[in-house]
Amino acid sequence: MDTANISSSPIDIAGHSGSMTGHGISSPTGMKRRKTDIHIDDTPPPPPPPPRLLDYEPIIGQAVLDELRYLAEALQGKSVKMVNSTAMGGGVAEMLNSLVPLIVELGVVTHWDVITGGNDFFEITKAFHNALHGGEYHLTRKTQEIFLQNNDQNRKRIQFDEDVIVIHDPQPAALISERDARNAKWVWRCHIDLSNPNAEVWSFLKPMVERFDAAIFSSQSFAQRLSVPQYLFYPCIDALSEKNKELDESYIQQICDDYGIDRSRPVVTQISRFDRLKDPLGVVKAYQMAKKYVDLQLVLAGGSASDDPEGAQVLAEVEDAAANDPDIIILNLPPWSGLQINALQRASTIIVQKSLREGFGLTVTEALWKSKPTIASAVGGIPNQVIHKLTGALVHSVEGCAYQIRYLLTHPDHARQLGKNGHEHVKENFLMTTNVKRWLLLLRFLLGAKEK
Amino acid sequence: MKESGNFGQREAKKPFYFNTSSHLLRIGQEKATTLSELLHALHTCSSDSIFQHTFRTLQEHHFIREGFSNDFAHWAFSACNEPGLAERLAGLDVREYTDVEDIRHKIEEIVAGYIEANPASRERRSREPFYFCASEALVLPTPFVARSIQQFVEDLARVSIHSIHHHFIEARLRLKLSSNDFSQWLEEEDLPEASAQLNRIDIYTATLEDVRRQIILVVKHALA
Repeated sequence: MDTANISSSPIDIAGHSGSMTGHGISSPTGMKRRKTDIHIDDTPPPPPPPPRLLDYEPIIGQAVLDELRYLAEALQGKSVKMVNSTAMGGGVAEMLNSLVPLIVELGVVTHWDVITGGNDFFEITKAFHNALHGGEYHLTRKTQEIFLQNNDQNRKRIQFDEDVIVIHDPQPAALISERDARNAKWVWRCHIDLSNPNAEVWSFLKPMVERFDAAIFSSQSFAQRLSVPQYLFYPCIDALSEKNKELDESYIQQICDDYGIDRSRPVVTQISRFDRLKDPLGVVKAYQMAKKYVDLQLVLAGGSASDDPEGAQVLAEVEDAAANDPDIIILNLPPWSGLQINALQRASTIIVQKSLREGFGLTVTEALWKSKPTIASAVGGIPNQVIHKLTGALVHSVEGCAYQIRYLLTHPDHARQLGKNGHEHVKENFLMTTNVKRWLLLLRFLLGAKEK
Repeated sequence: MKESGNFGQREAKKPFYFNTSSHLLRIGQEKATTLSELLHALHTCSSDSIFQHTFRTLQEHHFIREGFSNDFAHWAFSACNEPGLAERLAGLDVREYTDVEDIRHKIEEIVAGYIEANPASRERRSREPFYFCASEALVLPTPFVARSIQQFVEDLARVSIHSIHHHFIEARLRLKLSSNDFSQWLEEEDLPEASAQLNRIDIYTATLEDVRRQIILVVKHALA
């Protein structure tokens, strides 16, 4: 990868930069071991080097890859700056780690800066995040001052010499105050669900957002009525990441052996945090209802609950609900278990995502990409991915989930067709390369770049 | 008419330049939670919105052979539980239209007619809103230029599915003819039967890859 163009307070895309925050798990005792000994490093491994464009050719084909190059031709030498609040950890940083090198490789000079701030600032932005998801919050004058002061310090520290400045999420939104001093286009990329924001916080942020040239949302339903053009960029997965790349059959089998999964019998899996909104107890109930008719195992695999008291409680409740059923396998994995999650998904007969509330639901995207028949709740961004009876099964209840498990396990041809359609749906709409295409198009429209 | 011998190798009267189009999705201001709101929004939304929810839907779901002809039909079925309306909307074939405004009027007519016949459905709330979006398109050249019919067949197999959609489906809005770029060119290259046959390919019961294969078969057959 040509890292020469990635600079300033700068993020090394291989992930070796400073100003990063760690994850909650620090000890192997954070892992729940229910069945057998599980061998996962207790610290995150160094990230693999990012893929190059050519690596995607076997996945999307040369013609589609070439289209990215045609799109980028008129953007040669143009520059973009991405600004967000963390270099590592979280979906935005993960996405930028894949996206930025690909845009750079296509000839668009791309810089990535991360804002800095004190604990008080990040406590406020965390509270803003929750409030914008609809939580209660009282916005004080002091809070506003801290938010604006920290943004102003970053504004003075960061250079804004690029043609397009992209601000990710609310934390750096006040950097827009730099707009008047520059001749650049400014874009606000909102990754969070703004459909039901706390009125006080949104009233504070909205005037800033309306100073941008455009805003981008992850779902139609997340958008707000704004005076600036709004675009829809679906979240995406990287087909070459550890979580999604093809795996050797021997590795998948090894993971199943490690976790006590019998692949000669159907395996139904939900991958998600032990969080009430993911309804793991509902999944156990659906499994128990389906089990009266079909033989199956249930795998519930998710993130550690060590830093989340409620998560630990939910995990305990799930274990209680599972009682002594040897066919329910509960795996509490650290966040760097991408390969293991990938293997579990590939070993599954059906994948379930029975969330009560959801953002976009990238675990659904991952399941569809692996051509797995997928049963998911009709919440958040899931209906964009699961088109009922065409790319998967949408459900609204435990009973519906149980029925779909029974139906798909006894109608394998239909299940296979859903999986096949789901894979194609992701390939067309939810892959990183499609995201690159959207960014190139937006840059073309914003900059009015003509063909060379 | 077709000559005997190496007709496919003969230099074309004029080359066929393969282009492709890319689309960016803009979120519109209109939103509908009932059929009456849908009808109102259908009247006020931009023509780019109508294009997005009819022509573009087909492209975004090009891998499906059944049940996904346009977003309005899908919403009527899945969010409104109105299968009768969904069937009527799904019966709309974008290839019968050379102007997006005509499609708009047809959809309005179908929805208005349904509401009139089923007044209880007018204000019934849908499970999910219909969010109007619009497509912003950019047409791009590709390096593929067919200078003979044989080369045209070879290039058809290599261009992206987006290019096929651009020339075969979107083209009628540009041409203002009930035809497509491929048929137009084949007609000019003295293959009128192949030209006509392409317009009979059913795009709603085939994936775009199926459509690509069928186009290639028709042209190859014409050369045989």
